[in-house]
Amino acid sequence: MNMLTNNKQTTIALLGQPNSGKSTLFNGLTGARQHVGNWPGKTVEKKEGHYYRADIRYCVTDLPGTYSLSANSEEEIITRDYIASGQADVVCILADSSQLSRSLFMLADYAGINCPAVLLLNLMDIAEAQGKTIDAAKLEEKLGIPVVPFVAAHIKGYAGFFEAIDRALKEKQLINIQPLIEKYYTIENGVYEELIKLIPKQGIDNYSNFWLAAKLVEGDKAVLKKLKNTLTSDAYKEVQIILSSVENGALYTGGCKFKWIDELLFDALVQKQTKPIVSKFDRLATHKRWGKPLAIAIILLGLIASFIPAAPIMALGGMIPKLGGPITEFLLSANAPQLLIDLINQVILNTLYFAVAMIGFVFGVNLVFGFLEEIGYMARVSYVFDDTMSKLGLQGKSVMPLVVSFGCTIGGAAGTRVIDSWGQKVLTIALAWVVPCAATWAIVPVLSSIFFEAWAPLIIVAIFVVAGVHMVITAKIFGSKLIRDEDRAGLIMELPPYHKPRWRALFRSILVRTWDILNRALRVIFIVSLIFWFLTYSSSGNSNETLLYRFGRTIEPVTIIFGLTWQTFLAYIASMVSKEAALGVLGSLYLGAGTLFSATVASGGTVASGLSSVLLTSLTPPTALAFIFAVTFNAPCLMAITSTYQETRSLKWTLRILGYYFLSSLVLASLVYHISGLFL
Amino acid sequence: MLKLNNVKAGQKAIVVKIQGDKRFLSRITSIGLTLGCKIEVLYNESKLPLLLYGRDTVVALNQKESKNVFVEVIA
Repeated sequence: MNMLTNNKQTTIALLGQPNSGKSTLFNGLTGARQHVGNWPGKTVEKKEGHYYRADIRYCVTDLPGTYSLSANSEEEIITRDYIASGQADVVCILADSSQLSRSLFMLADYAGINCPAVLLLNLMDIAEAQGKTIDAAKLEEKLGIPVVPFVAAHIKGYAGFFEAIDRALKEKQLINIQPLIEKYYTIENGVYEELIKLIPKQGIDNYSNFWLAAKLVEGDKAVLKKLKNTLTSDAYKEVQIILSSVENGALYTGGCKFKWIDELLFDALVQKQTKPIVSKFDRLATHKRWGKPLAIAIILLGLIASFIPAAPIMALGGMIPKLGGPITEFLLSANAPQLLIDLINQVILNTLYFAVAMIGFVFGVNLVFGFLEEIGYMARVSYVFDDTMSKLGLQGKSVMPLVVSFGCTIGGAAGTRVIDSWGQKVLTIALAWVVPCAATWAIVPVLSSIFFEAWAPLIIVAIFVVAGVHMVITAKIFGSKLIRDEDRAGLIMELPPYHKPRWRALFRSILVRTWDILNRALRVIFIVSLIFWFLTYSSSGNSNETLLYRFGRTIEPVTIIFGLTWQTFLAYIASMVSKEAALGVLGSLYLGAGTLFSATVASGGTVASGLSSVLLTSLTPPTALAFIFAVTFNAPCLMAITSTYQETRSLKWTLRILGYYFLSSLVLASLVYHISGLFL
Repeated sequence: MLKLNNVKAGQKAIVVKIQGDKRFLSRITSIGLTLGCKIEVLYNESKLPLLLYGRDTVVALNQKESKNVFVEVIA
């Protein structure tokens, strides 16, 4: 595809290692004109967007962040197959100028692919601050492709980038790989040359014979398979014989690639003798004893800080239900039917309220933890918690969403944004649901002290113990499907140098994201609210005329097996919409305090007066205990479910997690009910 | 020749041998550790991944994985 045949449309792909600034450039180029989905049939996020320049539409594909183009992970295979397919007109390879020698590895791994490329030297400002001078013109001369020094976060400085893209599209130059090939020729008894003779001269797709041969030396199975389909069986056998003599090929080609990089840089990069700068803070952040407490303290502070931007937005959301009065008056004066008034008042206003409140918190969490990620601190959290979290199959960073979930599961789910593997992200969310959130602590102590008085603290301890065991079991159940072998491979990670936050770029990416979440949240919350409203609707306002009531009554013989009476079962169901609803619905059912719907969506966790004495007479201690556990370990709330759907981008996995929590909380309740029945 | 996990903080070394499966080799290569490359161990405490410095980059490497990297200490 080129500009002419494709109706003046050009496709640019962004390629780079993690921390190279790919996403910053992507957001800078496309702004709000982006679409996030999945790669077909894969669980890897696909980000596409576009921008216009001189009436030409440029599509931008943000390829998954990978360290190389080998075939060891889904991301790497997606990346290279996309490039080989020829869908991109030009590939932009990003490198971190402040760590140029390592970060050019992607360029070296790309060399030999027949698709025009541009090398972007990002973070030039940091490199300059470190006293490094990079001669881009010299690099360009050696490489034969446009080389652009720039800062991805500074949109105003993109002129050089645009010019380079135009040049690459016009001249279609490929990386000059001759010097690299010469190094490959020196590998072990010239196996590379022998392989080159057997591989078709024109290569396969966009892969040149030189690139394919290097991958063969590395033992790349996917490339071997491609050749099996292309070569005669004799030639293929010969390839296999040659390869059988090569061991640890990736080390040899890797050595060649870095030798090539060193040659590129020796007269293009001027720097003083570099020494790692380990600040006092970093010593503490990575300290054996202090690293973990510091991380937890910073995450907790972050949680509190996230309420600063969140509070005004949430307060604004809280005002929405107050519109109900004036709207009702207006509609009554216009003789609107009561049903419509109820629908607007209860469903639509509450949907807006929930969505805005949720957005506020998600925005705050994304801002604070996006900031910590951006300045480089999250990598340290990953480092100190790697050992602990890897036992659950997770990377160290996953500790953050789990801690945030003590405040609010919505924030926990939103916080998984910083986890780069989809499987680990989903597993982290599944585990974050176990963590009892603040709303749980608003109702559990109340219920516990009504029934167990001085023994109430014991129940809280029991909840923590159960939560711990729950996590281990849940990690086993979900981990087997979600965590791939490559995720379990031990930690090999770069600790990026700390740098100042790029506020503008950070805000830009978060605003785009928040808008996307708001749209999705409105839809999900509206649909669920509507269904719940329908189930709890009665023309008279009496709870016992609602469908939910009838359902609860009918199913009581079953729910009592789990230790739930029809009242507590309905309260349990409502607690999936909001935790506080557990108390509100009990108030509505026992005391007629408000309709079931309003008790569910607008209960502030307060106990209706007289509720405790009614509860004491109508529930036995084992049923009360069963209820406490069922509600605590139930799905957190509708907004957390929505947030989960948003982050996993998978309805299937959201429903799986939901179903799992529904069933497991009932099983837990049942266990608690029957065991405590022996003593109480 | 020493296993990398036996190198003390502050010592400089040259990588002479790396073992492991393909995935490990390609991963460790892509982060800049290759045969003959010079590194400095910054931090080596039990229970925490090793921190080392090479090619302008601070790299964290698990204790277990670091046993697959062999070095000659130079200073």
